[in-house]
Amino acid sequence: MKALMKHLLIQFRMDIRERGTLMTYYLIPLVFYLFIGAVFTSVNPLVKNTLAASMAVFAATMGAVLGTPVPVVKMRESGVLRAYRVSGIPGWAVPFIHGISAFLHLLIVSSIILITAPVFFGAGRPQDYTAFFLTLVMLLFSTIAIGMLIGAAARSQSMAVMLSQMVFLPTVVLSGIMFPASMLPEPLRMLGRLLVGTYAMEAFSGLAYGLATDFSAPWSILVGACIGILAAGLAMLRFRRMGKSP
Amino acid sequence: MDEYIVEVQDLVKRYANLTAVNGISFKVKKGEVFGLLGPNGAGKTTTLECLEGLRRSDGGTVRVGGIDPQTDVRKLRKLLGVQLQNSSMPDSIRPSEAMELICAWHRIPPRRDLLNMFGLDPQSRKQYREMSTGQKRRLHLALALACDPAVVILDEPTAGLDVQGRAQLHEAIRRLRHSGVTILMATHDMAEAETLCDRVAILVRGRIATIGTPAQITSAGLGETRIILRTQKNCLLPGRDIGGARFVRQEEDYGTWLCRDAAASVVALLQEVQRAGDTVEDLRVERPSLEERFLELVERDAS
Repeated sequence: MKALMKHLLIQFRMDIRERGTLMTYYLIPLVFYLFIGAVFTSVNPLVKNTLAASMAVFAATMGAVLGTPVPVVKMRESGVLRAYRVSGIPGWAVPFIHGISAFLHLLIVSSIILITAPVFFGAGRPQDYTAFFLTLVMLLFSTIAIGMLIGAAARSQSMAVMLSQMVFLPTVVLSGIMFPASMLPEPLRMLGRLLVGTYAMEAFSGLAYGLATDFSAPWSILVGACIGILAAGLAMLRFRRMGKSP
Repeated sequence: MDEYIVEVQDLVKRYANLTAVNGISFKVKKGEVFGLLGPNGAGKTTTLECLEGLRRSDGGTVRVGGIDPQTDVRKLRKLLGVQLQNSSMPDSIRPSEAMELICAWHRIPPRRDLLNMFGLDPQSRKQYREMSTGQKRRLHLALALACDPAVVILDEPTAGLDVQGRAQLHEAIRRLRHSGVTILMATHDMAEAETLCDRVAILVRGRIATIGTPAQITSAGLGETRIILRTQKNCLLPGRDIGGARFVRQEEDYGTWLCRDAAASVVALLQEVQRAGDTVEDLRVERPSLEERFLELVERDAS
Protein backbone atom coordinates (compact mmCIF):
# COMPACT_ATOMS: atom_id res chain seq x y z
CA MET A 1 0.00 0.00 0.00
CA LYS A 2 2.87 2.34 0.91
CA ALA A 3 4.51 1.61 -2.42
CA LEU A 4 1.27 2.28 -4.28
CA MET A 5 0.81 5.61 -2.49
CA LYS A 6 4.40 6.65 -3.18
CA HIS A 7 4.03 5.63 -6.82
CA LEU A 8 0.77 7.58 -7.09
CA LEU A 9 2.34 10.67 -5.56
CA ILE A 10 5.29 10.56 -7.97
CA GLN A 11 3.01 9.89 -10.95
CA PHE A 12 0.75 12.79 -9.98
CA ARG A 13 3.76 15.14 -9.77
CA MET A 14 5.12 13.87 -13.09
CA ASP A 15 1.76 14.50 -14.77
CA ILE A 16 1.88 18.11 -13.61
CA ARG A 17 5.41 18.53 -15.00
CA GLU A 18 4.45 17.00 -18.35
CA ARG A 19 3.34 19.76 -20.71
CA GLY A 20 1.27 17.48 -22.97
CA THR A 21 -0.58 15.96 -20.04
CA LEU A 22 -1.19 19.35 -18.51
CA MET A 23 -2.70 20.55 -21.80
CA THR A 24 -5.10 17.62 -22.21
CA TYR A 25 -6.03 17.35 -18.52
CA TYR A 26 -6.37 21.03 -17.67
CA LEU A 27 -5.61 23.70 -20.22
CA ILE A 28 -7.68 22.70 -23.27
CA PRO A 29 -10.77 21.55 -21.30
CA LEU A 30 -10.76 24.77 -19.26
CA VAL A 31 -10.21 27.02 -22.29
CA PHE A 32 -12.97 25.16 -24.16
CA TYR A 33 -15.22 25.49 -21.12
CA LEU A 34 -14.60 29.24 -20.93
CA PHE A 35 -15.28 29.59 -24.66
CA ILE A 36 -18.48 27.56 -24.55
CA GLY A 37 -19.56 29.33 -21.37
CA ALA A 38 -18.96 32.78 -22.82
CA VAL A 39 -20.14 32.29 -26.41
CA PHE A 40 -22.20 29.17 -26.86
CA THR A 41 -24.55 29.77 -23.94
CA SER A 42 -25.74 33.00 -25.58
CA VAL A 43 -26.28 31.18 -28.90
CA ASN A 44 -28.07 28.26 -27.25
CA PRO A 45 -29.37 29.16 -23.76
CA LEU A 46 -30.40 25.53 -23.18
CA VAL A 47 -26.72 24.70 -22.79
CA LYS A 48 -26.62 26.88 -19.66
CA ASN A 49 -28.71 24.48 -17.58
CA THR A 50 -26.25 21.63 -17.73
CA LEU A 51 -23.07 23.51 -18.61
CA ALA A 52 -21.07 22.03 -15.70
CA ALA A 53 -22.17 18.50 -16.63
CA SER A 54 -21.52 18.82 -20.37
CA MET A 55 -18.13 20.41 -19.80
CA ALA A 56 -17.26 17.69 -17.26
CA VAL A 57 -18.06 15.11 -19.96
CA PHE A 58 -15.85 17.06 -22.39
CA ALA A 59 -12.98 17.35 -19.88
CA ALA A 60 -13.19 13.70 -18.86
CA THR A 61 -13.30 12.44 -22.44
CA MET A 62 -10.52 14.77 -23.52
CA GLY A 63 -8.25 13.94 -20.59
CA ALA A 64 -8.95 10.24 -20.36
CA VAL A 65 -9.39 9.27 -24.00
CA LEU A 66 -6.92 11.68 -25.60
CA GLY A 67 -4.57 12.17 -22.66
CA THR A 68 -3.91 8.74 -21.15
CA PRO A 69 -3.24 6.38 -24.09
CA VAL A 70 -0.20 8.10 -25.63
CA PRO A 71 1.91 8.17 -22.42
CA VAL A 72 1.12 4.48 -21.92
CA VAL A 73 2.24 3.60 -25.46
CA LYS A 74 5.31 5.82 -25.03
CA MET A 75 6.24 4.00 -21.81
CA ARG A 76 6.01 0.71 -23.63
CA GLU A 77 7.94 1.90 -26.71
CA SER A 78 10.75 3.60 -24.80
CA GLY A 79 11.41 0.68 -22.46
CA VAL A 80 10.03 2.25 -19.27
CA LEU A 81 7.72 -0.71 -18.66
CA ARG A 82 10.63 -3.15 -19.07
CA ALA A 83 12.81 -1.07 -16.76
CA TYR A 84 10.00 -1.00 -14.17
CA ARG A 85 9.48 -4.73 -14.51
CA VAL A 86 13.13 -5.69 -13.91
CA SER A 87 13.19 -3.24 -11.00
CA GLY A 88 10.45 -5.15 -9.22
CA ILE A 89 7.44 -2.96 -10.07
CA PRO A 90 4.54 -5.30 -10.88
CA GLY A 91 3.07 -4.97 -14.37
CA TRP A 92 -0.47 -4.20 -13.14
CA ALA A 93 0.74 -1.27 -11.02
CA VAL A 94 1.72 0.94 -13.95
CA PRO A 95 -1.69 1.23 -15.70
CA PHE A 96 -3.45 1.19 -12.33
CA ILE A 97 -1.45 4.13 -10.96
CA HIS A 98 -1.66 5.93 -14.28
CA GLY A 99 -5.44 5.56 -14.19
CA ILE A 100 -5.81 6.69 -10.58
CA SER A 101 -3.62 9.73 -11.23
CA ALA A 102 -5.70 10.64 -14.31
CA PHE A 103 -8.85 10.17 -12.21
CA LEU A 104 -7.61 12.65 -9.62
CA HIS A 105 -6.59 15.26 -12.20
CA LEU A 106 -9.90 14.99 -14.05
CA LEU A 107 -11.84 15.09 -10.79
CA ILE A 108 -10.06 18.35 -9.97
CA VAL A 109 -10.80 19.93 -13.36
CA SER A 110 -14.44 18.77 -13.26
CA SER A 111 -14.80 20.23 -9.77
CA ILE A 112 -13.35 23.55 -10.97
CA ILE A 113 -15.94 23.60 -13.73
CA LEU A 114 -18.76 22.65 -11.35
CA ILE A 115 -17.85 25.40 -8.88
CA THR A 116 -17.17 28.19 -11.39
CA ALA A 117 -19.91 27.60 -14.00
CA PRO A 118 -22.74 29.15 -11.95
CA VAL A 119 -20.48 32.04 -10.83
CA PHE A 120 -19.00 32.89 -14.25
CA PHE A 121 -21.89 32.08 -16.58
CA GLY A 122 -24.97 31.77 -14.40
CA ALA A 123 -25.13 28.07 -15.21
CA GLY A 124 -27.59 25.80 -13.44
CA ARG A 125 -26.51 24.14 -10.19
CA PRO A 126 -27.16 20.41 -9.72
CA GLN A 127 -30.17 19.63 -7.53
CA ASP A 128 -28.41 16.56 -6.23
CA TYR A 129 -24.67 16.86 -5.76
CA THR A 130 -24.32 13.22 -4.67
CA ALA A 131 -25.87 12.10 -7.96
CA PHE A 132 -23.59 14.51 -9.82
CA PHE A 133 -20.47 13.04 -8.23
CA LEU A 134 -21.73 9.47 -8.59
CA THR A 135 -22.23 10.07 -12.31
CA LEU A 136 -18.84 11.80 -12.50
CA VAL A 137 -17.14 8.81 -10.89
CA MET A 138 -18.80 6.47 -13.41
CA LEU A 139 -17.82 8.78 -16.27
CA LEU A 140 -14.19 9.05 -15.14
CA PHE A 141 -13.84 5.33 -14.46
CA SER A 142 -15.29 4.37 -17.84
CA THR A 143 -13.47 6.95 -19.96
CA ILE A 144 -10.14 6.18 -18.24
CA ALA A 145 -10.73 2.46 -18.80
CA ILE A 146 -11.33 3.18 -22.50
CA GLY A 147 -8.16 5.32 -22.57
CA MET A 148 -6.18 2.48 -20.98
CA LEU A 149 -7.62 -0.02 -23.45
CA ILE A 150 -6.52 2.21 -26.33
CA GLY A 151 -3.07 2.57 -24.72
CA ALA A 152 -2.79 -1.19 -24.32
CA ALA A 153 -4.07 -2.04 -27.80
CA ALA A 154 -2.36 0.62 -29.95
CA ARG A 155 0.90 -0.49 -31.51
CA SER A 156 2.28 3.03 -31.87
CA GLN A 157 1.67 6.52 -30.58
CA SER A 158 0.15 7.64 -33.89
CA MET A 159 -2.26 4.70 -33.83
CA ALA A 160 -3.19 5.60 -30.25
CA VAL A 161 -3.98 9.17 -31.32
CA MET A 162 -6.12 7.88 -34.19
CA LEU A 163 -8.08 5.47 -31.97
CA SER A 164 -8.53 8.18 -29.34
CA GLN A 165 -9.96 10.57 -31.92
CA MET A 166 -12.38 7.86 -33.02
CA VAL A 167 -13.88 7.96 -29.52
CA PHE A 168 -13.37 11.63 -28.67
CA LEU A 169 -14.85 13.33 -31.75
CA PRO A 170 -18.12 11.34 -31.80
CA THR A 171 -18.46 12.00 -28.06
CA VAL A 172 -18.28 15.76 -28.65
CA VAL A 173 -20.86 15.62 -31.45
CA LEU A 174 -23.19 12.76 -30.50
CA SER A 175 -23.33 12.55 -26.71
CA GLY A 176 -25.45 15.63 -26.19
CA ILE A 177 -22.82 17.91 -24.69
CA MET A 178 -23.12 20.57 -27.42
CA PHE A 179 -26.83 20.18 -28.10
CA PRO A 180 -29.47 17.69 -26.93
CA ALA A 181 -29.03 14.24 -28.40
CA SER A 182 -32.77 14.22 -29.18
CA MET A 183 -32.06 16.76 -31.93
CA LEU A 184 -29.90 14.22 -33.79
CA PRO A 185 -31.21 12.03 -36.61
CA GLU A 186 -32.04 8.49 -35.48
CA PRO A 187 -28.98 6.72 -36.97
CA LEU A 188 -26.63 9.17 -35.23
CA ARG A 189 -28.59 8.89 -32.02
CA MET A 190 -28.14 5.11 -32.15
CA LEU A 191 -24.42 5.59 -32.77
CA GLY A 192 -24.28 7.91 -29.79
CA ARG A 193 -25.60 5.11 -27.58
CA LEU A 194 -22.27 3.35 -27.96
CA LEU A 195 -20.57 6.21 -26.12
CA VAL A 196 -20.06 6.55 -22.38
CA GLY A 197 -20.52 10.32 -22.75
CA THR A 198 -24.14 9.84 -23.87
CA TYR A 199 -25.00 7.80 -20.77
CA ALA A 200 -23.15 10.24 -18.54
CA MET A 201 -25.12 13.18 -19.99
CA GLU A 202 -28.40 11.29 -19.49
CA ALA A 203 -27.47 10.47 -15.88
CA PHE A 204 -26.32 14.02 -15.14
CA SER A 205 -29.52 15.48 -16.62
CA GLY A 206 -31.94 13.03 -15.01
CA LEU A 207 -30.34 12.36 -11.62
CA ALA A 208 -28.31 15.47 -10.81
CA TYR A 209 -30.37 18.19 -12.53
CA GLY A 210 -33.83 16.59 -12.43
CA LEU A 211 -34.42 17.19 -16.14
CA ALA A 212 -36.32 15.00 -18.59
CA THR A 213 -34.18 12.32 -20.28
CA ASP A 214 -34.49 10.12 -23.35
CA PHE A 215 -34.02 6.94 -21.33
CA SER A 216 -33.82 5.87 -17.69
CA ALA A 217 -31.12 7.83 -15.83
CA PRO A 218 -30.23 5.07 -13.30
CA TRP A 219 -29.91 2.60 -16.18
CA SER A 220 -27.62 5.09 -17.89
CA ILE A 221 -25.22 4.92 -14.96
CA LEU A 222 -25.34 1.15 -15.06
CA VAL A 223 -24.78 0.91 -18.83
CA GLY A 224 -21.95 3.49 -18.67
CA ALA A 225 -20.33 1.56 -15.84
CA CYS A 226 -20.70 -1.72 -17.74
CA ILE A 227 -18.91 -0.22 -20.74
CA GLY A 228 -16.14 0.86 -18.34
CA ILE A 229 -15.90 -2.56 -16.70
CA LEU A 230 -15.70 -4.24 -20.10
CA ALA A 231 -12.97 -1.83 -21.27
CA ALA A 232 -11.05 -2.21 -17.99
CA GLY A 233 -11.24 -6.01 -18.24
CA LEU A 234 -9.99 -6.03 -21.82
CA ALA A 235 -7.22 -3.55 -20.94
CA MET A 236 -6.14 -5.73 -18.00
CA LEU A 237 -5.99 -8.81 -20.22
CA ARG A 238 -3.92 -6.92 -22.75
CA PHE A 239 -1.56 -5.55 -20.07
CA ARG A 240 -1.18 -9.02 -18.61
CA ARG A 241 -0.18 -10.36 -22.02
CA MET A 242 2.25 -7.47 -22.44
CA GLY A 243 3.73 -8.25 -19.03
CA LYS A 244 4.64 -11.74 -20.17
CA SER A 245 6.41 -10.63 -23.32
CA PRO A 246 9.82 -8.93 -23.04
CA MET B 1 35.09 -25.48 -3.75
CA ASP B 2 33.85 -22.68 -6.01
CA GLU B 3 30.30 -21.55 -5.41
CA TYR B 4 28.39 -20.85 -8.58
CA ILE B 5 25.68 -18.22 -8.40
CA VAL B 6 24.60 -18.29 -12.04
CA GLU B 7 24.18 -21.58 -13.86
CA VAL B 8 23.08 -21.98 -17.44
CA GLN B 9 22.78 -25.50 -18.80
CA ASP B 10 21.96 -26.34 -22.44
CA LEU B 11 19.90 -23.16 -22.85
CA VAL B 12 17.86 -23.03 -26.06
CA LYS B 13 15.74 -20.12 -27.26
CA ARG B 14 13.98 -20.01 -30.62
CA TYR B 15 12.11 -17.22 -32.40
CA ALA B 16 9.91 -18.90 -35.04
CA ASN B 17 12.45 -20.61 -37.32
CA LEU B 18 15.48 -18.86 -35.89
CA THR B 19 17.42 -20.49 -33.07
CA ALA B 20 18.88 -17.49 -31.26
CA VAL B 21 20.52 -19.51 -28.46
CA ASN B 22 21.52 -23.03 -29.30
CA GLY B 23 22.33 -25.12 -26.24
CA ILE B 24 24.78 -22.91 -24.39
CA SER B 25 26.14 -23.75 -20.93
CA PHE B 26 28.22 -21.71 -18.53
CA LYS B 27 28.55 -21.02 -14.82
CA VAL B 28 29.49 -17.84 -13.01
CA LYS B 29 31.22 -17.90 -9.63
CA LYS B 30 30.22 -15.65 -6.74
CA GLY B 31 32.02 -12.30 -6.98
CA GLU B 32 33.15 -12.91 -10.55
CA VAL B 33 32.84 -10.47 -13.46
CA PHE B 34 31.74 -12.55 -16.40
CA GLY B 35 31.50 -11.13 -19.92
CA LEU B 36 29.38 -12.30 -22.82
CA LEU B 37 30.92 -11.20 -26.10
CA GLY B 38 29.71 -11.72 -29.61
CA PRO B 39 28.67 -10.03 -32.82
CA ASN B 40 25.14 -8.67 -33.27
CA GLY B 41 22.59 -11.45 -33.22
CA ALA B 42 24.91 -13.87 -31.43
CA GLY B 43 22.37 -14.42 -28.65
CA LYS B 44 23.90 -12.35 -25.83
CA THR B 45 20.84 -10.28 -25.01
CA THR B 46 18.50 -13.27 -25.39
CA THR B 47 20.63 -15.24 -22.92
CA LEU B 48 20.56 -12.35 -20.46
CA GLU B 49 16.80 -11.90 -20.89
CA CYS B 50 16.29 -15.58 -20.01
CA LEU B 51 18.34 -14.97 -16.85
CA GLU B 52 16.34 -11.80 -16.09
CA GLY B 53 13.05 -13.70 -16.32
CA LEU B 54 11.94 -11.60 -19.29
CA ARG B 55 11.97 -14.49 -21.76
CA ARG B 56 10.88 -18.09 -21.44
CA SER B 57 13.48 -20.54 -22.72
CA ASP B 58 12.63 -23.37 -25.09
CA GLY B 59 15.06 -25.80 -23.51
CA GLY B 60 17.70 -26.23 -20.85
CA THR B 61 17.85 -24.85 -17.35
CA VAL B 62 18.74 -21.46 -15.95
CA ARG B 63 19.37 -20.71 -12.28
CA VAL B 64 20.29 -17.47 -10.53
CA GLY B 65 21.20 -18.05 -6.90
CA GLY B 66 19.38 -21.36 -7.16
CA ILE B 67 16.20 -19.64 -8.37
CA ASP B 68 14.47 -20.45 -11.64
CA PRO B 69 13.84 -17.01 -13.23
CA GLN B 70 10.80 -18.36 -15.07
CA THR B 71 8.91 -19.50 -12.02
CA ASP B 72 10.01 -17.38 -9.08
CA VAL B 73 10.19 -13.83 -10.39
CA ARG B 74 9.46 -12.18 -7.04
CA LYS B 75 12.46 -13.79 -5.31
CA LEU B 76 14.57 -13.14 -8.39
CA ARG B 77 13.96 -9.38 -8.24
CA LYS B 78 15.44 -9.27 -4.72
CA LEU B 79 18.54 -11.13 -5.84
CA LEU B 80 19.14 -9.66 -9.25
CA GLY B 81 19.82 -6.08 -10.38
CA VAL B 82 19.42 -5.41 -14.08
CA GLN B 83 20.56 -2.65 -16.38
CA LEU B 84 18.87 -3.32 -19.70
CA GLN B 85 20.32 -2.51 -23.09
CA ASN B 86 17.28 -0.44 -24.05
CA SER B 87 15.60 0.95 -21.03
CA SER B 88 14.27 4.27 -19.97
CA MET B 89 12.44 6.16 -17.26
CA PRO B 90 9.53 8.56 -17.68
CA ASP B 91 10.77 11.83 -19.18
CA SER B 92 9.65 13.98 -16.28
CA ILE B 93 10.89 11.83 -13.39
CA ARG B 94 13.76 13.14 -11.24
CA PRO B 95 16.66 10.84 -10.22
CA SER B 96 15.65 11.01 -6.56
CA GLU B 97 12.05 10.15 -7.44
CA ALA B 98 13.14 7.20 -9.57
CA MET B 99 15.17 5.92 -6.63
CA GLU B 100 12.27 6.52 -4.19
CA LEU B 101 9.92 4.66 -6.52
CA ILE B 102 12.10 1.57 -6.94
CA CYS B 103 12.96 1.49 -3.22
CA ALA B 104 9.28 1.85 -2.26
CA TRP B 105 8.46 -1.27 -4.29
CA HIS B 106 11.38 -3.10 -2.64
CA ARG B 107 10.06 -1.88 0.74
CA ILE B 108 13.37 -0.25 1.69
CA PRO B 109 14.26 3.38 2.47
CA PRO B 110 15.41 5.44 -0.55
CA ARG B 111 19.08 4.75 -1.39
CA ARG B 112 20.35 8.30 -1.80
CA ASP B 113 23.83 6.94 -1.09
CA LEU B 114 23.75 5.17 -4.45
CA LEU B 115 22.91 8.41 -6.26
CA ASN B 116 25.87 10.06 -4.54
CA MET B 117 28.10 7.10 -5.33
CA PHE B 118 27.34 7.41 -9.04
CA GLY B 119 27.79 11.18 -9.12
CA LEU B 120 24.09 12.00 -9.32
CA ASP B 121 22.95 14.79 -7.06
CA PRO B 122 20.00 13.55 -4.97
CA GLN B 123 18.80 17.15 -4.64
CA SER B 124 18.86 17.71 -8.38
CA ARG B 125 15.62 18.98 -9.91
CA LYS B 126 16.82 17.81 -13.31
CA GLN B 127 14.31 15.62 -15.08
CA TYR B 128 15.22 12.38 -16.85
CA ARG B 129 14.81 14.01 -20.27
CA GLU B 130 17.41 16.66 -19.35
CA MET B 131 20.07 14.15 -18.27
CA SER B 132 23.03 13.18 -20.46
CA THR B 133 23.36 9.61 -21.76
CA GLY B 134 26.10 8.97 -19.21
CA GLN B 135 23.98 10.25 -16.34
CA LYS B 136 21.06 8.09 -17.48
CA ARG B 137 23.27 4.99 -17.61
CA ARG B 138 24.62 5.71 -14.14
CA LEU B 139 21.10 6.27 -12.85
CA HIS B 140 19.98 2.91 -14.24
CA LEU B 141 23.00 1.26 -12.65
CA ALA B 142 22.21 2.93 -9.32
CA LEU B 143 18.58 1.75 -9.60
CA ALA B 144 19.76 -1.78 -10.41
CA LEU B 145 21.71 -1.78 -7.14
CA ALA B 146 18.88 -0.41 -5.00
CA CYS B 147 18.01 -3.74 -3.40
CA ASP B 148 21.66 -4.70 -2.78
CA PRO B 149 21.52 -7.52 -5.31
CA ALA B 150 23.96 -10.41 -5.20
CA VAL B 151 24.07 -10.50 -9.01
CA VAL B 152 23.99 -7.60 -11.44
CA ILE B 153 23.34 -7.98 -15.16
CA LEU B 154 24.62 -5.22 -17.40
CA ASP B 155 23.64 -5.33 -21.06
CA GLU B 156 25.96 -3.13 -23.12
CA PRO B 157 26.52 -0.78 -20.17
CA THR B 158 28.77 1.67 -22.01
CA ALA B 159 27.10 1.72 -25.43
CA GLY B 160 26.74 5.27 -26.68
CA LEU B 161 28.85 6.82 -23.94
CA ASP B 162 31.68 9.28 -24.49
CA VAL B 163 35.20 8.58 -23.19
CA GLN B 164 34.60 10.28 -19.85
CA GLY B 165 31.27 8.53 -19.36
CA ARG B 166 32.83 5.16 -20.10
CA ALA B 167 35.66 5.78 -17.67
CA GLN B 168 33.18 6.74 -14.93
CA LEU B 169 31.07 3.67 -15.54
CA HIS B 170 34.13 1.40 -15.63
CA GLU B 171 35.18 2.83 -12.29
CA ALA B 172 31.70 2.13 -10.91
CA ILE B 173 31.86 -1.47 -12.15
CA ARG B 174 35.28 -1.91 -10.54
CA ARG B 175 33.88 -0.62 -7.24
CA LEU B 176 31.05 -3.12 -7.48
CA ARG B 177 33.47 -5.91 -8.15
CA HIS B 178 35.48 -4.96 -5.05
CA SER B 179 32.32 -5.05 -2.96
CA GLY B 180 31.82 -8.67 -3.96
CA VAL B 181 28.87 -8.30 -6.32
CA THR B 182 28.74 -10.85 -9.14
CA ILE B 183 28.52 -9.11 -12.49
CA LEU B 184 27.36 -10.59 -15.74
CA MET B 185 27.81 -8.23 -18.65
CA ALA B 186 27.26 -8.31 -22.38
CA THR B 187 29.49 -6.05 -24.39
CA HIS B 188 30.79 -5.35 -27.88
CA ASP B 189 33.81 -3.62 -26.46
CA MET B 190 36.77 -6.00 -26.34
CA ALA B 191 38.99 -3.61 -24.42
CA GLU B 192 36.24 -3.24 -21.83
CA ALA B 193 35.92 -7.01 -21.51
CA GLU B 194 39.67 -7.47 -21.31
CA THR B 195 40.10 -4.93 -18.52
CA LEU B 196 36.93 -5.61 -16.49
CA CYS B 197 36.09 -9.30 -16.86
CA ASP B 198 37.58 -12.19 -14.94
CA ARG B 199 36.23 -14.60 -17.53
CA VAL B 200 34.51 -14.19 -20.87
CA ALA B 201 32.49 -16.35 -23.22
CA ILE B 202 32.44 -15.55 -26.92
CA LEU B 203 29.10 -16.33 -28.50
CA VAL B 204 28.79 -16.90 -32.22
CA ARG B 205 25.42 -17.75 -33.78
CA GLY B 206 23.88 -18.84 -30.51
CA ARG B 207 26.73 -21.10 -29.43
CA ILE B 208 29.70 -20.55 -27.16
CA ALA B 209 32.76 -20.49 -29.41
CA THR B 210 35.18 -20.23 -26.50
CA ILE B 211 35.17 -19.54 -22.78
CA GLY B 212 37.91 -18.65 -20.30
CA THR B 213 39.94 -15.77 -18.94
CA PRO B 214 40.85 -13.09 -21.49
CA ALA B 215 44.48 -14.29 -21.30
CA GLN B 216 43.49 -17.92 -21.89
CA ILE B 217 41.33 -16.98 -24.85
CA THR B 218 43.94 -14.82 -26.54
CA SER B 219 46.68 -17.37 -26.03
CA ALA B 220 44.51 -20.16 -27.42
CA GLY B 221 44.34 -18.44 -30.80
CA LEU B 222 46.92 -18.69 -33.54
CA GLY B 223 49.39 -17.69 -30.84
CA GLU B 224 51.44 -15.37 -33.01
CA THR B 225 53.18 -12.38 -31.48
CA ARG B 226 53.40 -9.16 -33.45
CA ILE B 227 56.74 -7.32 -33.81
CA ILE B 228 56.60 -3.75 -35.08
CA LEU B 229 59.88 -2.12 -35.94
CA ARG B 230 61.18 1.18 -37.34
CA THR B 231 64.82 1.86 -38.12
CA GLN B 232 66.62 5.06 -39.00
CA LYS B 233 67.59 4.01 -42.57
CA ASN B 234 64.65 1.66 -43.21
CA CYS B 235 67.09 -1.15 -43.85
CA LEU B 236 64.42 -3.83 -43.36
CA LEU B 237 62.05 -2.28 -45.87
CA PRO B 238 60.56 -3.34 -48.20
CA GLY B 239 60.02 -6.21 -45.82
CA ARG B 240 60.83 -9.89 -46.03
CA ASP B 241 60.72 -12.91 -43.74
CA ILE B 242 63.65 -12.94 -41.32
CA GLY B 243 64.36 -16.04 -39.27
CA GLY B 244 61.08 -17.19 -37.74
CA ALA B 245 59.44 -13.79 -38.26
CA ARG B 246 56.94 -13.59 -41.11
CA PHE B 247 56.64 -10.16 -42.70
CA VAL B 248 52.99 -9.07 -42.95
CA ARG B 249 52.84 -5.39 -43.83
CA GLN B 250 54.49 -2.01 -44.07
CA GLU B 251 52.83 1.14 -42.77
CA GLU B 252 54.84 4.28 -43.50
CA ASP B 253 58.30 3.56 -41.99
CA TYR B 254 57.05 0.73 -39.78
CA GLY B 255 57.37 -2.93 -40.70
CA THR B 256 55.23 -5.59 -39.02
CA TRP B 257 56.21 -9.24 -38.54
CA LEU B 258 54.34 -12.14 -36.95
CA CYS B 259 56.15 -14.91 -35.13
CA ARG B 260 55.63 -17.81 -32.72
CA ASP B 261 58.98 -17.49 -30.90
CA ALA B 262 59.10 -13.80 -30.02
CA ALA B 263 62.57 -13.79 -28.39
CA ALA B 264 64.33 -15.57 -31.26
CA SER B 265 62.58 -13.43 -33.87
CA VAL B 266 63.44 -10.15 -32.13
CA VAL B 267 67.07 -11.22 -31.93
CA ALA B 268 67.08 -12.18 -35.63
CA LEU B 269 65.56 -8.83 -36.63
CA LEU B 270 67.99 -6.83 -34.48
CA GLN B 271 70.97 -8.75 -35.87
CA GLU B 272 69.77 -7.89 -39.38
CA VAL B 273 69.56 -4.22 -38.44
CA GLN B 274 73.05 -4.34 -36.93
CA ARG B 275 74.46 -6.05 -40.01
CA ALA B 276 73.06 -3.28 -42.22
CA GLY B 277 74.71 -0.60 -40.03
CA ASP B 278 71.28 0.80 -39.17
CA THR B 279 69.84 1.73 -35.75
CA VAL B 280 66.46 0.92 -34.20
CA GLU B 281 64.22 3.92 -33.55
CA ASP B 282 61.10 2.10 -32.33
CA LEU B 283 60.46 -1.51 -31.40
CA ARG B 284 57.17 -2.92 -30.13
CA VAL B 285 56.31 -6.50 -29.28
CA GLU B 286 52.56 -7.09 -28.92
CA ARG B 287 50.65 -10.17 -28.00
CA PRO B 288 47.35 -10.71 -29.89
CA SER B 289 44.46 -8.82 -28.34
CA LEU B 290 41.12 -10.27 -27.35
CA GLU B 291 39.67 -8.35 -30.28
CA GLU B 292 41.90 -10.18 -32.74
CA ARG B 293 41.00 -13.52 -31.20
CA PHE B 294 37.34 -12.51 -31.35
CA LEU B 295 37.60 -11.61 -35.04
CA GLU B 296 39.45 -14.85 -35.70
CA LEU B 297 36.61 -16.86 -34.15
CA VAL B 298 33.89 -14.91 -35.94
CA GLU B 299 35.68 -15.16 -39.30
CA ARG B 300 36.31 -18.86 -38.81
CA ASP B 301 32.60 -19.36 -38.18
CA ALA B 302 31.66 -17.30 -41.23
CA SER B 303 33.98 -19.31 -43.48
